[in-house]
Amino acid sequence: MYINACSTISHQNSFQNENWINELVPLDIKSELITPDYKEFIAPAALRRMSKIIRMSLACSKDCIQQSGTETPDAIIVGTGLGCLADTEKFLNNTLTLTGLIPPTSFIQSTHNTIAGQISLELKNHNYNITHTQNSLSFEHALIDAILCLNEEDSNVLVGAADEAIPLLDELAKQFGLDEITHKLTSGASFFMLSNNKTEASKAQLVDSYTVGLNNSSPGDIIDDFLKRNGLTIGDIDNVLSNTFGTVSEFEIMDTFNATPVKPIDECSGYYFTNSAFGMHLGVEMLAQNSSKRILLYNTLNNSNIGLTLLQSLEA
Amino acid sequence: MSIYITGVGVISAIGLNVEENYQSLRNKKTGIEPINYFPSTKNILVGEVKLSSDDLIAQLNVTAPISRTSLLGLAAAKEAWEGNQHDASIRTGIISSTSVGGMDNSEQYYKQRLESDTPDISLITTHDSGTTTERIATALGISGYINTLSTACSSGANAIMLGARLIEQNRLDRVLVGGSDSFTNFTEEGFRSLMIYSDDWVKPFDENRNGLNLGEGGGFILLENEKSLNITNNKKLAALGGWANTADAYHQTASSPDGKGATLAISNALKIGNINPSEVSYVNAHGTGTPNNDLSESVALKNVFKEKVPPFSSTKSYTGHTLAASGAIEAVYSVLALQHNVIFPNLNYSTPITDTELVPEVNLNESHEVNVVLSNSFGFGGNNSTVIFKKA
Repeated sequence: MYINACSTISHQNSFQNENWINELVPLDIKSELITPDYKEFIAPAALRRMSKIIRMSLACSKDCIQQSGTETPDAIIVGTGLGCLADTEKFLNNTLTLTGLIPPTSFIQSTHNTIAGQISLELKNHNYNITHTQNSLSFEHALIDAILCLNEEDSNVLVGAADEAIPLLDELAKQFGLDEITHKLTSGASFFMLSNNKTEASKAQLVDSYTVGLNNSSPGDIIDDFLKRNGLTIGDIDNVLSNTFGTVSEFEIMDTFNATPVKPIDECSGYYFTNSAFGMHLGVEMLAQNSSKRILLYNTLNNSNIGLTLLQSLEA
Repeated sequence: MSIYITGVGVISAIGLNVEENYQSLRNKKTGIEPINYFPSTKNILVGEVKLSSDDLIAQLNVTAPISRTSLLGLAAAKEAWEGNQHDASIRTGIISSTSVGGMDNSEQYYKQRLESDTPDISLITTHDSGTTTERIATALGISGYINTLSTACSSGANAIMLGARLIEQNRLDRVLVGGSDSFTNFTEEGFRSLMIYSDDWVKPFDENRNGLNLGEGGGFILLENEKSLNITNNKKLAALGGWANTADAYHQTASSPDGKGATLAISNALKIGNINPSEVSYVNAHGTGTPNNDLSESVALKNVFKEKVPPFSSTKSYTGHTLAASGAIEAVYSVLALQHNVIFPNLNYSTPITDTELVPEVNLNESHEVNVVLSNSFGFGGNNSTVIFKKA
């Protein structure tokens, strides 16, 4: 399966800039989410009503359409850990504070599938349209669904993930004693065009993705089994991208991967449930720039849930 | 490849298990009543599950904090899973679905936040939809493929479809699929803000229908392939006949007047299942009772079946609209229709919709063999799903 487009909105200079992976800057308290000129992608009247998560997702989707030249994807698949939080909170507060008739807009936009639904509306696309929401594994579940589609009759699948932060998350993190991540809780979106066809736009290949929820076995065994099913061993992997350095000890990850270099992504993506999608975009650009042949994305943002995604270069 | 249904579980306004639901459907007994269990001062009609969350926690032997959505899902999943064992050689997963997850607890948290400086923070820990499913998986001892779909009111049907595809592509051998949603003030106010919450009993497919009544509940079915069946020796209750999901791409909430997305979903499901429209014995309609849905769905049925629309009914006149759970609850009803050769009546109907003149089944119909049942679920965002069930 070929990755024919990638688009990410993050704290990095990642939008419509192929060189972004060479300009990575760790998040600090002052760094902000980039804001593309959304008017280039969304009509002003519609834009005014849209929350951040919808804007980000639509801009990334349309960017993927442009990059790949695929006007009509055969499926639109989205992963989101917490969905449209801003509109959910807004409507919730309205139900508690307003009397009489409440405006419906934030209710309409509160459902998780507003993202995929809005993409289908913007693209006038009638094909398979789905939303996965399994906290830290939401993106991997979307990817697995995309793989199913490409193994069926579909040729091109638009797949992505998005999450948005609201101030309440910081407040809760503090109360739960998660001080080290508090100012790094943020928003982000990454979308991809996957295809069975290699084109001039192809950047890398997606080999497989796999999840284990409520894991009760050794991560090392799960990784070995996953690689074995794909005819590989850990020695075939040039780089591991991990989104967990902040929450799992360095030693634990190094031990699992032995001599394979592990690159943390969380310090550049920040924390949100679908930051492994940021990792996938980073990995694709590393492969496109020939710095590696095979990359394993290792998602243990939530310690008991494991996500594995295997990428390889076009030549591999 | 054949995919079999070997377990069913349901909890809704018309019963706490499959048998109670079946008897209510046969006896035209609705579960939609003035609100009683949910703390509310409003005078509204709701299809509530007739048990408090505290009673559910005690019965299911779980610990608080847990959302009512998890509790309803667990009750149904447990019934569908009943008697099954874990076996390392059967790759087993669970796919649940919900539209609002732990909103029942979240809205309590927000209310407390407005009223006090020390809201109960544990209430917000059950908010995310993935956690809703993990609580169900934990109680049943399932680990591995654990996933949640959220496509508003078509979610339950989509969970069934995804489970089937994972089995077809040899990623799983056995998977519990379904969904749950609890009644919340959030969703009630939401549908009211759209002016589609009826203060009268819901009248699906009636010319004078004026909106939906919300319900709550959970539904699950257990899917297995041959390999799994060889080990479990479970009885085949029914088989999956086809499935499809499409996007209406017309409006964020309203369905298109030409029923484009729904027509595509029904016809694609028939095509995937290689089933001729004339083979369909019964359509368990989405039939929410809103002016928009029932018209659009009627048009879609006529588009696909022309002059020969099969007997159809909406069981939401019993349960209310259970949102994400509806596709899963109605999957259980579809299996019951196949098992007992029965078509369930549509309540509160008197006058056909002028534009389409379709007449739903209004009496318990036991006069025909029921071989193929088609179930529709349509949601916000123009998300349209059809799942077909057939005799095993």
